[in-house]
Amino acid sequence: MEPEASNAQTMDNNAINLILARLETMPRDVARLNVGLEKLDTDVTSMSGILERFYAPCSHPQLSNHLTLLAESLPAESDEEQSSLLASQGNRNRCPVPGILLNTNTLESFYALDKQSLLKAEAKKVWDDIYSGKVEEDGSVLLRFLVISFADLKKWSFHYWFAFPALVLDPPATLVNLKPALQCFTSEEAESLSRACNEWRSKSSTADIPFFLVTISSNSSVTLRNIRELEACQNNGQKVLFGFYDPCNLPNNPGWPLRNYLAYICSRWGLGKIHFFCYRENRGFADLGLSLVGEAEISLSQGGNHENMPNVVGWELNKGKKVPRCISLAKSMDPTRLAVSAA
Amino acid sequence: MMVLSHLHGAFKGTVERITSPRTVSAFKEKGVLSVSEFVIAGDNLVSKCPTWSWESGEPSKRKSYLPADKQFLITRNVPCLRRAASIEEEYEAAGGEVLLDNDDNDGWLATHGKPKGNNGAEDDSLPSIDTLEINKKNTIQSIPSYFGGEEEEDIPDMGEYEEADNLIETDPATLQTTYLVANEPDDDNILRTRTYDVSITYDKYYQTPRVWLTGYDESRMLLQPELVLEDVSQDHARKTVTIEDHPHLPGKHASVHPCRHGAVMKKIIDVLMLRGVEPEVDKYLFLFLKFVASVIPTIEYDYTMDFDLGSSSS
Repeated sequence: MEPEASNAQTMDNNAINLILARLETMPRDVARLNVGLEKLDTDVTSMSGILERFYAPCSHPQLSNHLTLLAESLPAESDEEQSSLLASQGNRNRCPVPGILLNTNTLESFYALDKQSLLKAEAKKVWDDIYSGKVEEDGSVLLRFLVISFADLKKWSFHYWFAFPALVLDPPATLVNLKPALQCFTSEEAESLSRACNEWRSKSSTADIPFFLVTISSNSSVTLRNIRELEACQNNGQKVLFGFYDPCNLPNNPGWPLRNYLAYICSRWGLGKIHFFCYRENRGFADLGLSLVGEAEISLSQGGNHENMPNVVGWELNKGKKVPRCISLAKSMDPTRLAVSAA
Repeated sequence: MMVLSHLHGAFKGTVERITSPRTVSAFKEKGVLSVSEFVIAGDNLVSKCPTWSWESGEPSKRKSYLPADKQFLITRNVPCLRRAASIEEEYEAAGGEVLLDNDDNDGWLATHGKPKGNNGAEDDSLPSIDTLEINKKNTIQSIPSYFGGEEEEDIPDMGEYEEADNLIETDPATLQTTYLVANEPDDDNILRTRTYDVSITYDKYYQTPRVWLTGYDESRMLLQPELVLEDVSQDHARKTVTIEDHPHLPGKHASVHPCRHGAVMKKIIDVLMLRGVEPEVDKYLFLFLKFVASVIPTIEYDYTMDFDLGSSSS
């Protein structure tokens, strides 16, 4: 047993859930969506739409980069809007993440939703995409999210609850090692890695691809590649790290995308010992002091079986409790109040 | 006041509809930008400071005179660790001159007192919440550097200050306790801060960029625009910073009113030219954002790049 193992912590701890819990959104835009959906859908209890949220690597040492739901995230009403969404592809600050929205027309039906089943259904999509190979085409499917909502248009209040389905490894992955990336490379490697990352992030074809491979050749030159090229990299004996855009800023915790990433790597590629790279930026450029390199060990007994989907967690905690969030938009939307404040 | 501003809004809207956008450069003469210069300056900002990006916004709100994919600029999730008022208070304690020159009733507000032997390492000396808590005096050293490099001392602020008693009244107890408590969560040790989405649109009427602020509180809930004013230099709150509809985004947002932008930019450009620096139009937004930093001193958006404002021909 390696000496570091004595300090090892499990990956499935509350710290990651806490990071999950910090992901917040832009309630006003969701409200706009709900107003739209109410109009369209007055009789049906719930309706779903495919949304895209956007995320980007952490870009400031003091705070995490939250997933953001924008007005454009809402299901497009016309082809023109759809094309505007397409036009934003390749924007490095807006990596799209697919999600689903369930909007109910009454508070009762909001509370009556079977949240566990909904979460499972989303996790099943992640699990299926891992086995079908879809992840290699579009890594963002590992980051699916789900939101349920109810907009009380009489009181201008808005209830919502986000879930970020995460596959639970059993037994949990063990974190063997986690260090600032700067300490894990020679200066030549670090320089080459920074350059490769900045290139990856500035090219419109790769800027919004959140999962990638870092390969380090024996002459210290670093290349970033698409995750589908893994087998080729393994065969030519290079050192390989699994990189991802890490929205978290904490020095001792990788961000939430790592959970499903690890599940993917061990299930799809049968790897039990995984070197990963949490890519973070400062002011828009690669920051290896902020980025982390870690090593995780996963018991392989659980991998490789599509039939047995692991458990799933991911409903966002609200101040440590499992309750939905509520926001009052009366101040900014109620016409009576607006009239009063304008007078 | 409301009526006046509505009237002005209607007037402005009409003028915008019937005039064609500026196409001839008046950058050096008037401090204003043509539409194509705005795009050039925006492209440069996006390439040098990649936290900024162009957005296309809602199709129904697009301006035909701007490219569809370059309607406005935005940088999201910008930290704001403390309220502007606390900065001003310390700044004053550090002996900073506030009102520069008032001869022609067009006095400028100097936002950057005499830097004390500091060459402008902006990030390193950012005062943290911790230092605030201990003792105000401990943080005095760091304030001038917080405001940026020494070249900035000549950059004027908006000319709205006519009286010497315009100086900020300080009330350390309320300001500090209010926000320090709010900033320190008890359930974990993560520093929570307000965050901002800062966007820049092109104002066709004033022919200048215009800055908009969308704030979020410590738990990422949308800030009421009135609370955004706490992060605005108190000289500007409710005067040059107003709350209006954003041309591309839904809802009311705080905005630095552009009525004086051209004049202020013209002064900045004049100062640069006096120093023998030939200002280039693609750097307009860097200059502009540096000036905007005096209005929103604690919102840490990125406008840094390696260009030398002060290198004169001497």
